[in-house]
Formats: sequence, C-alpha cells, structure tokens
Amino acid sequence: MVFSCIPFLFFFLPLCLILYYAVPFSWKNGILLIFSLIFYAWGEPLYILLMLFSTLLDYTNGRLMERFGTTRCRRTFFLCCSICINLSILAFFKYADFAVASINGLLGTQFAQPGIHLPVGISFYTFQTMSYIIDLYRGEVKAEHSYTAYLTYVSMFPQLVAGPIVRFADIQEQLHGRKLTLAGFEQGLLRFMMGLFKKVLIANQTGALWEEIRVLGAADTSVATAWLGALCFTLQLYFDFSAYSDMAIGMGHMLGFHYNENFNYPLTAVSVTDFWRRWHISLSTWFRDYVYIPLGGNRKGVLRHLFNIAVVWFLTGMWHGASWNFVLWGVYYGILLMLEKYVWGKLLAKLPRGIRHAYAFLIVVFGFVIFAITDFGELGGYITLLFSFASGTLADTRFLWYLGNYGAVLVTACVLACPVYPWICQKAARLGAGKRCILSACAGIGMLLLFLLSTAYMVSDTYNPFLYFRF
Amino acid sequence: MITNMKIKRTVVCLLCIGILSLSVCLLVSPKKEFSENENRYLTKFPSFSANALLGGEYTESLGDWLADHFPQRDFFVGLKSGVEIASGRREINHVYVAQDDYLIESYAKPQNTARITDTLVHFYDKIGQAKVDVNLMLVPTAVTIYSDKLPAYAPSSDQKEVADAIYDASGIPAIDCTDRLYEGAAQGQIYYRTDHHWTTLGAYYGYLAYCDAKNMTPVSLESMEAQTVTEDFAGTLYSKVNDYSHPKDAITIYTNPADDLTVTYADTGEVTDRLYNLDYVAEKDKYSLFLNNIHPLVEIENSTAASQDTLMLIKDSYANSMVPFLAHHYKKIYVLDTRYYRDGPSSFLAEHGDITDILLLYNMNTLDGDTGIRGIY
Repeated sequence: MVFSCIPFLFFFLPLCLILYYAVPFSWKNGILLIFSLIFYAWGEPLYILLMLFSTLLDYTNGRLMERFGTTRCRRTFFLCCSICINLSILAFFKYADFAVASINGLLGTQFAQPGIHLPVGISFYTFQTMSYIIDLYRGEVKAEHSYTAYLTYVSMFPQLVAGPIVRFADIQEQLHGRKLTLAGFEQGLLRFMMGLFKKVLIANQTGALWEEIRVLGAADTSVATAWLGALCFTLQLYFDFSAYSDMAIGMGHMLGFHYNENFNYPLTAVSVTDFWRRWHISLSTWFRDYVYIPLGGNRKGVLRHLFNIAVVWFLTGMWHGASWNFVLWGVYYGILLMLEKYVWGKLLAKLPRGIRHAYAFLIVVFGFVIFAITDFGELGGYITLLFSFASGTLADTRFLWYLGNYGAVLVTACVLACPVYPWICQKAARLGAGKRCILSACAGIGMLLLFLLSTAYMVSDTYNPFLYFRF
Repeated sequence: MITNMKIKRTVVCLLCIGILSLSVCLLVSPKKEFSENENRYLTKFPSFSANALLGGEYTESLGDWLADHFPQRDFFVGLKSGVEIASGRREINHVYVAQDDYLIESYAKPQNTARITDTLVHFYDKIGQAKVDVNLMLVPTAVTIYSDKLPAYAPSSDQKEVADAIYDASGIPAIDCTDRLYEGAAQGQIYYRTDHHWTTLGAYYGYLAYCDAKNMTPVSLESMEAQTVTEDFAGTLYSKVNDYSHPKDAITIYTNPADDLTVTYADTGEVTDRLYNLDYVAEKDKYSLFLNNIHPLVEIENSTAASQDTLMLIKDSYANSMVPFLAHHYKKIYVLDTRYYRDGPSSFLAEHGDITDILLLYNMNTLDGDTGIRGIY
C-alpha cells in the first residue's frame, strides 16, 4: 500500500489511529503491529513470512548474545551468524537475478535466472535489524526482551517500505514508554499532509513529464528538453522520497514516536560532500557508522581512506537496486567525493556561493540520469542527448510546449526545494501576534484547499508510482 | 482571543472531519455502475478468492473500486482538470485544450502504417479481378484542419504526409477530402468541440469530395431537411478531459425527402426506414444516433435512388454521419464495420455480385489506433 492512495488515507490510517488511541498503553504496540502486518500484507501477502523470519532471527540472536555472550569471541559468533544470514537473505532475494545475469553476460553462459520478485522494503528492514544486532554487539543498546516490541519496531508501517532507516537505539525507549499529546498529533498530521501534497501534487506531476520526455526518441529531444527531463526526474525523486519521509515522520508523531530527519534540502547543497549530508541522511549515517568508520574512516592513511570511500560508495550504489547503473551511480559519487577530499575541495570552498550551488546541482541532476535509466544502451543515448550541443538542436518548440504545460509545477517545485518554509517561519516569528494569526489562518485555508486538491488527484486515475520497489 | 494554536487546532479538526466524513460517505453512499461524465463502467466490487488475495490483485482492485465510487467523484475529477488547465496545462489524456472551446485529439506518430498499407495492398490485389470501382478516403481529424486553433507549440505529427504515404503504397485510387474540409471549415463547424468525430457539416464536405471524385452531382444542403436534435452533446473528448464547465455541442441531422429508404441491421434483424436512432439523444454517447451506433453489417436500400449502383462501404464511425448523403446515390449500400464484421469483406464481395463500387473510409486517428482496418483482409 502506498501512503498516497484512498484505501490508506481514508480507511487504514483513520482506523488505525482510532483504535490506537482507544486502547490502553500496554495494547498500543499490539495494535500498531497488527496494522503494520496488514499494511505489508496488502501488497506482499507471502513475503510477510520472510520478514517474520528475519525479525525472529535477530531477536533470538539478541537474546542469545545477552545470555551467553560473556566473552567477546562468543558475541562475535552471534554477530556473524546474524549478519551472514541477513545478508544472505538480502543477496538471494535482491541480487540473485542480477548476479546470474551478470555472470551470463560476462562468461557467455546460459544459466536460467531464478526470477525472484523483490520483497518490498527488504533493504530497509534488513538494515534496521542489522543496526540492532551491531549496536548490541557494541554495547550501545540493551537486548530487547519483548518480541512484540521488536517486531513492532521492524515492521512499523510509517517507515517500513520507504524509510527512514530507524536505528533501534534511537527508538527502544519509545517502544516501552511514549507520550501521546494533542500537540504531537496536530504537528504529525500537518507534517503528514505536507508530505502528501509533495508526493501527489509535485512528485507525480514532474514524474509524468519525465516519463514522457524519456520515451520521446532522439529526433524529438533537443538538448534543452533532455536537461528538462533530467531536472524533472531529480525533482520527482526528491519530492517523492522526502515526501515519504515527511509522511513517516508525521505518522510517527501521531503515534508518539520521534524519527530523525531524513532530508535537509539536498538540492541546495554547495558540494557533493554537502549533498550527502542532506540526502537520505539515515542511509548515509548507516553506512558511515557501520561500514566507513569500522573500516578506519580517514584515520589510516590516504590509500586506506580512498579504499574506504570506494567500498562505501560501491555498497551505497548497490543498495539502491540490483543493476549496474546503480553501481555506476555509487562509483560516480565515490570518485567525486575523493576528488573533493583530495583535489579541489579547498579551491571549491573559496568560490562564490552561487557557483558552488550550481556545481553541486549539476552533478546531482546528471547523477540522477544514471540513477533513472537501468538499461546501459538507453542511458548512453540519453547522456549523448544531454551533451549534443554541437550536433543536436539546442531548444525546440516542444521544449517550450513542456514549459508552458508544466511551468507552474516546475516553478513551485524549484521554490519548495529551497528552504523557503523555514525562512517564512523565521520571519513570521518576528511579526506581531495579529499578523501572525492572519498568516497562519491563510496557511490553514491553503492546507484545506490542498487537501481537497490532493484528494482530487488520488480519486482521478492518475500516475502514482512507487519508486522504491528496487531498494 | 484567536491564537495561532487555536487556528492550528481548527485546521487539524477540519482535516480529520473531512477525512472521516468522506470515508463514511464512501461506505454508505449508493453506488453507480456507470459514469455518464467519464463515459465508462465503474469498477465492480472485486470477488474474493485466496489466489487473488495472495497475488495482490484483490487488494489492488479494492483500491480501484474505492477510487471509482468515491463520494462526489465528478466534483473531484472536474476539480483536478480545472486546476490543471488553470495552471497552464493544454494537454490532458492526449487531448489538446484548444482555442474557441475546442477539444482536439492529439495525433501521435503512427505506429502501424506499414501493417496498414500491407493489408490494403492485399485487399486491393484480391478484389483486382472483380469489375468494381474502389476508392480509399482517409479523413484528416481536427488536429489537421483546425491546426490554427491548437495551443501554441502543441507537437503534432503530419497526417497528410502519412495519408499520402498510405495512398501511394496501397495503390488504391485516393479521395483526398482535405481541401474540401478546409473549405467547409470556412463555412461552419465541421468537427465537434467535445467529440473526436466530424460534425454532419464536416461529413457533408467529405461527401462533396467523394462526389468530385466520382463525377456525381451532390445534393445541396438546402434541399435537405435539417433538424437540430440536441444541444447537450458531451462527447468522448469531453470525457477524457473531464472539465465539466466546458460548453457542449449541438448535433444536426439531415434527411433527404426524396429518398425512400429501407434500413436492415443484419445482426439484430431490425428493419426501419430511418438512418437515425433518436433514442440515443437521451443517452450520453449521442453520436451513436447515426446509423444506430455500431453494427457489423447494415443494408440500406433506396427505391428512389439516382442510380442502379450498389456501394460497399468499409468504414469506421466517421462514415456513419456521411451515409445519409450517400444514400441518395445508390440503390443499395452495404455498410461494413471491419472492427466487428468478422467474415472479411473480400468474401462478402464474391458473394454479392451486385456490388459496383467500394469505398474505404477511415479517419486518421482510428486508422492507426484501432485494429479495425486489419479486418478487411
């Protein structure tokens, strides 16, 4: 089930919240768990068993580590057990087809692909359960005794299928005691609505234009149209992904949980390093804490540092999907980060801010072209179109046609990709009480109108994709 | 005193009330089977099976059902289109929102030209031995004739180029009605504002082009009885765009008082003396009043015809509004809709020795988008 659909918004969520608030605290985890399992089963009825197995494994490993992990050696044994099994499951369900296809391609063999359909959210929940067991090994978290609580943590529907990746350490206390307040509910609902608007009114629209431009064919695509397409995909992915995080964080608030922010205006980054501090923060911190730093980070000499960066970015690319273009996308960022660290980082910092913004933005937009197109032939064709300044048409009437049709959405998207909202809040804080009230009344009316409009978009049969089926 | 907190609380309350009341309405409201505005049957409540549930299809169709039976669906669908048009969108569901309140179906690059010409070549080969006069008429749609009304920079492929290529490759003598249609466009409305068909006036100019090619004297419009049967026609394009504030169309029909017709519908066995079924005026799809909607085979006999010739008309729905003009000239017309007539027109020709003329008539959009023409061979 996606969040931006009628069954979820008008039935699942209200019903879940009503029951959740109606029952005493000791039942709340149970209610949340039942709804989360229904949520997962809605689209993936069979793979729910896999998730149950995966959580049971880590829960048991956690208990065993607590009970018998008296020596470092034994703890390491339980840790390895858990990590090996988790990664094997992930490798099998996510990468088996890809591995067979790659071997066939490389050696010219004809092994049949197993044809496994990827369980939704497997990369998110595997990373969550691994964070638990690693933190437990490091002594940063206490072993969880309640299987219900642990399963609730892993399967919690707000973040189950599209993140953020929540670490057990951040949420364990809340699982056993959290405050439900009216203010938290209000804040959560408004945050959820913001996410819904971003997904339905912006991401889906820019996405529709990207899909149209992508299949135009070389003859009809001018350089300007190709860049417009790349911009559209960038905006689609940012607004879609951050909208999911907004909705997750919002629903978390309504349920009494506090998740960390996952996006911080990444499209306004001033460098590639900066971009990755702002984009999918929960994933990059995961890789930082569980791969990069354990490997030695930047403390073991230049060569080792470069190697560590290479490993982390290869894995980051790989995490996004079982296809070589994602690996290429990861490697692209790995190389750029190395270059920023060792070649032009210092020079870059001295440049005017505008140039730094433009530099990072172009790298990001181009990067998402690699991300968007899984087929290498098509990808090569599209990149050629982006750079055929000399041979191709620079701009044509079709480009103007798209601008006219989608201009309003694109301008709104570009404005909202900048930190305009915090800026307004900051300015509003300095206004007098009367003016502030007028401002928030306007915002409130705007919210209600946008709610009607989003409902209209969900009711009409329109483009509403789920982009994370590869993750 | 009004505070920020109170405003926030009110907004949250209203949102909750909005969500809950819509979900309650959705559950208790009576359900429609058919959407008049969208011109389609709405999703039926899915029947439960373990397989469908495990495969995820059950929950998916449940979602479709909820969207289709959402309370005030027409309001929401119309709201979306209205806001899109207001924000500068000029193409919705492959329909251009054009000037003078015209909705015009776009014409994408044709996909099936090679296959279509191939079919036509085979067809022409096969009937080559018979002593009949064959013509092919490919009617341009509004996107060509009304290109001056299209929104600025609207991309469109060239229908004339495609039609000429098909004419050349098929070898069938062509009747190009483009110039006549331009002439008609200067005289009045030749395409509906809300539908993909030509108006009766448009069909008349198509008929003039046919008469030019066949050296026939056309009946003048003035000598026919005109009747405006509805001014409330919201056609197929209206249903694709769903902007419910859009003005609707009038339909005018012409009857030739000199003709004495017997119309036989082969599939239902119905026999009548009229080319129109005005029962359709009360329905949504009013264009169906021409020749009583879609039938695989219709026979039209005119006992006072101007000639003893018999025409076999192989066509799509564009021809339905042209038949009332053609009927005057032929003792008998066999109207074959190849989308539904399965036995193949060439064998039909062999069985009916009285046929003297054949006209193949398709519009440029159906020609490529519909597989109908493949039925001719």
